[in-house]
Amino acid sequence: MNVSIIGAATTKFGELWAVSPRMLAREAVHGAMVDAGTEAREIQALFVGNMLSGILGGQEHLGAFFAEELGLTVPAFKIEGACASGGLALHNAVCSVLSGQYKTVIALGVEKMTDHRPEDVATALMGAGSEEERLAGATFPGLYALLSRVHMETYGTRPQDLAAVSVKNHYHASLNPNAQFRRLITIEQVLGSTKIADPLTLLDCSPISDGAAAVVITSGQSPKKSVSIVASTVATDTLGLAQRKSLTELRATKDAASRAYKMASVEAKDIDIAEVHDCFSIAEILALEDLGFYAKGKAAPAVSRNEVTIGKSKRLVVNPSGGLKGCGHPVGATGIKQIVELVEQLRGIAGDRQVKGAKIGLAQNVGGSGATAVVHIVCKAR
Amino acid sequence: MQSPVKIWRNQKKITTLLGKTGRIISWTIVRTPPAQFMDQAPYGVVLVELEDGMRLTAQLVDWQPKQLKIGQRVTTVVRRVTQPNADGVIPYGIKVKPI
Amino acid sequence: MVGIVSYGTYIPEFRLRVADIAGAWHKEAQEVIGSLGLMEKSVPAADEDAVTIALESALQCFQSSKKTPSDVEALFVGSESHPYAVNPTSTIVGELLGVGRNYLAADLEFACKAATAGMEALAGLIEAKHIALGLAIGADTAQSKPHDSLEYTSAAAGVAVLMSREAGSRSAGGGKLIANLLSYTSYSSDTPDFWRRDGIQYPSHAGRFTGEPAYFAHVMGATQLLMKKTNVTPEGIDYCVFHMPNGKFPRDVARRLGFTNEQLAPSLIVDHIGNPYSASSLMGLAAVLDIAKPGQTIFMVSYGSGAGSDAFLWKVTDQITSYRRKKRQTVAEQMAKKTYIDYVGYLKRTHKI
Repeated sequence: MNVSIIGAATTKFGELWAVSPRMLAREAVHGAMVDAGTEAREIQALFVGNMLSGILGGQEHLGAFFAEELGLTVPAFKIEGACASGGLALHNAVCSVLSGQYKTVIALGVEKMTDHRPEDVATALMGAGSEEERLAGATFPGLYALLSRVHMETYGTRPQDLAAVSVKNHYHASLNPNAQFRRLITIEQVLGSTKIADPLTLLDCSPISDGAAAVVITSGQSPKKSVSIVASTVATDTLGLAQRKSLTELRATKDAASRAYKMASVEAKDIDIAEVHDCFSIAEILALEDLGFYAKGKAAPAVSRNEVTIGKSKRLVVNPSGGLKGCGHPVGATGIKQIVELVEQLRGIAGDRQVKGAKIGLAQNVGGSGATAVVHIVCKAR
Repeated sequence: MQSPVKIWRNQKKITTLLGKTGRIISWTIVRTPPAQFMDQAPYGVVLVELEDGMRLTAQLVDWQPKQLKIGQRVTTVVRRVTQPNADGVIPYGIKVKPI
Repeated sequence: MVGIVSYGTYIPEFRLRVADIAGAWHKEAQEVIGSLGLMEKSVPAADEDAVTIALESALQCFQSSKKTPSDVEALFVGSESHPYAVNPTSTIVGELLGVGRNYLAADLEFACKAATAGMEALAGLIEAKHIALGLAIGADTAQSKPHDSLEYTSAAAGVAVLMSREAGSRSAGGGKLIANLLSYTSYSSDTPDFWRRDGIQYPSHAGRFTGEPAYFAHVMGATQLLMKKTNVTPEGIDYCVFHMPNGKFPRDVARRLGFTNEQLAPSLIVDHIGNPYSASSLMGLAAVLDIAKPGQTIFMVSYGSGAGSDAFLWKVTDQITSYRRKKRQTVAEQMAKKTYIDYVGYLKRTHKI
């Protein structure tokens, strides 16, 4: 595979009341293009990852919308796959470059969620699940709570093990100037926070956020600060939990990961940094197991023991950006933000979050309760 | 307003699920509901495996706390899915009740 | 001979104590209990309504019968709480039951006697051999204004009655009857004792006018007409069932008509669940059918405000013995399966808050 990331940028993530989707996109894309040193005329296509612009904002047709806003009169696409929209946008961008159809393109992930009441956002997000789940009133926390319960029953995972994920990611986010949350939290605080869907509490759940992230990718290798994409895979599983073969894993993650490792000719143990999809604390636990970093039932205790924490880990660091929990989760933007974090880490410009000697990074982006999974593997330009 | 045509199509699926029994394989209590379920919260949501092997996700109704557990036997019932607005068609759907 | 093939009942499991209602309004609980003659009433879950309750009773009805919903040729649902002013409860129930397409569906309203009017209509269709099998359901989630006296008694339940003619060697489509309908008649007048205008949420009533000129005049009027028609007297009947708006009226009317406590007692579901409107007299009938012996007779009189009474004389057959062996829950068992809620829980479940 011969694709490089030559520019990467994100906006701040958070409750950005005064910032519109247009402003978010402009900031991220401008930042990525300046980083890449590319001019508008070099960009040949625009891939936009977003989930909720229609149902919340009344605006569909985002390809054309942002192409106009960004002054890029190029082929433009909105790609949607629930919370995997960003990762899918990048995957489609990569495929378009590999096909030879385009040389240099932008993948933009953008989401504006805080204009609406939380209960309306919750309703909109349920569009990522099945009709049966919607009719049952199963919110996203509810679905991941169902997964948590099974994981706890099967492997003895405890609420405090889940809480350790949030504690770690808040610590990482405290080192990230773009993160939504900058404060440290404790296990006790997580356990004592408002119950959302038993056993998940408020601090087990990623927030509602606004934000955007963008990358410029091109075919071939490029000047020194570029990063190579060595794998880009997507896998699909059933929409609803009731139709899954297993409730203790996200098979889509496993499928996408095993193909990605093959594509990149690496193994799980070779990964230095991983940005995984911790929409809820249990999701990071499942990700660590499904990506092959830990055996079933072993990931939670490892997180509790700080085995994947910046500064404490002996090898793999997970979610150095703060993950979805600490950095924020503007749904369509997350998949691209994960890539931006990996790029900064591999380039050695991640500041206080820098994982020393990071060479190979993996991003895992999930849609819904696991119906879509996207895995990217990146490494320093070879 | 919910589409009456969609409600009509969905209700056709109900008859095949009437009067079935099964067991809870996972459960939660939703405490922060989406807009259309505001009046029902907190409510139980369960994953059920029916005797014929089919699985479904449904709201649990008329339950005591001690019945919200893996392995609890349940039966399917028809209930209003959500309270309709004043002039809309009423959606009926399958929920489950402990037995 | 027309009669009952099977019956099914459904009582929501929640109960609200009359004492708790009285407490909410700072009234003397014992006074209220004493004057109305009941202790508690059934309350539906927030997601139940006349449709779901009618369906549950119908499902129970078919559980103990060889007949299947697709055999039904007429389906009447009587209620005061049909979910729609226009759009039939009977077809929603019919569709969910799987009745098919070739049937007559109709919704009936006549305060608490809508379903018994349906039974008379079915009897006529069956007797005329226009249909072989008909289903009548009385189901209600009765509403009442908070602080009004009706609040203490308005309850929720459903009863489904499957009717047919006695299966003979040459008649097609009949069934084994567990009770024969020996005779019936009706007494009707224009009497505004209790009413609800279209679009208005709660019913209104005319206080003490609901007694003598309304309930008593019609129940006794229908009774006298049927006794004359059939030439029976209270002494010659085993059980009586009357519509039960509260614990006092049915006891009063039974005594005045010459029935004994023993004849009335098995039917008094009001003591346990209050007044489920269109399901009231039918639930009383079901409770008696749960225990009556072959050959025993049941005199049943419904009452609907507005006003009217339908009177029926039933005779239990030998089939009741083998039928009872198959029956799932009795009325007594359903009344005993209960969960108490408080007044706030009642307000939530009945959509008042």
